[in-house]
Amino acid sequence: MPASSESITLTSDLHARPAGALAVAAGRFAATVSVIAGSKTVDAKSVLGVMGLGATRGQRVTVSAEGPDAEEAVAALIAILESHSFDAEAR
Amino acid sequence: MTQVAPRVGIVLVSHSVRLAEGTADLAGQVSGGTVRVLAAGGTEDGELGTSAGKVAQAVASAEAGAGVLVLPDLGSAVLTVRAMLEDMPGARVVLADAPFVEGAVAATVTAAAGADLKAVATAAEEAWHARKL
Repeated sequence: MPASSESITLTSDLHARPAGALAVAAGRFAATVSVIAGSKTVDAKSVLGVMGLGATRGQRVTVSAEGPDAEEAVAALIAILESHSFDAEAR
Repeated sequence: MTQVAPRVGIVLVSHSVRLAEGTADLAGQVSGGTVRVLAAGGTEDGELGTSAGKVAQAVASAEAGAGVLVLPDLGSAVLTVRAMLEDMPGARVVLADAPFVEGAVAATVTAAAGADLKAVATAAEEAWHARKL
């Protein structure tokens, strides 16, 4: 089974909207997708799980996937984490 | 990305107009606004309570071709929803047993990803187990 993994340092806290964007994107892939921050690992398709990570600016976050489209899933989620400039307010 | 498949719709039944509308707003924004999230809060005249007429109207508006998930805020809203469903025998509607805010957000996000009605209902009910801390 293809597997893929990539890490990124957050430039802002992981609030509700980016968590929603991550979960919506992850849900479109067949692969099992996880987000890892500190000691917590959650299902990327669960918005409540991603919110429950409590991931903050400066923290290293890893996106990991396993399944036929694992590579595309990781690329899509990393792109979302990179693109969100949600630093000004707690959204 | 072009989305052709219809999304599961969500109906939020609350005793309070503002609670239903606020929760619909939150779930809609967190999920990116691609899902029909309808608020059915309060009585016909806007007082605290529930209205079968409002729920029926919201279910009809939420249906985009993939079915509708209905989330009640408190147990007593369930009676109104059940009575309404009896009058809509052909409707593809599932009533979820879930925490209201978390269930609404989880269900709407899951619907936005293109999941079917059963998966959207499961996402809402799994919200019982999601910890905030």
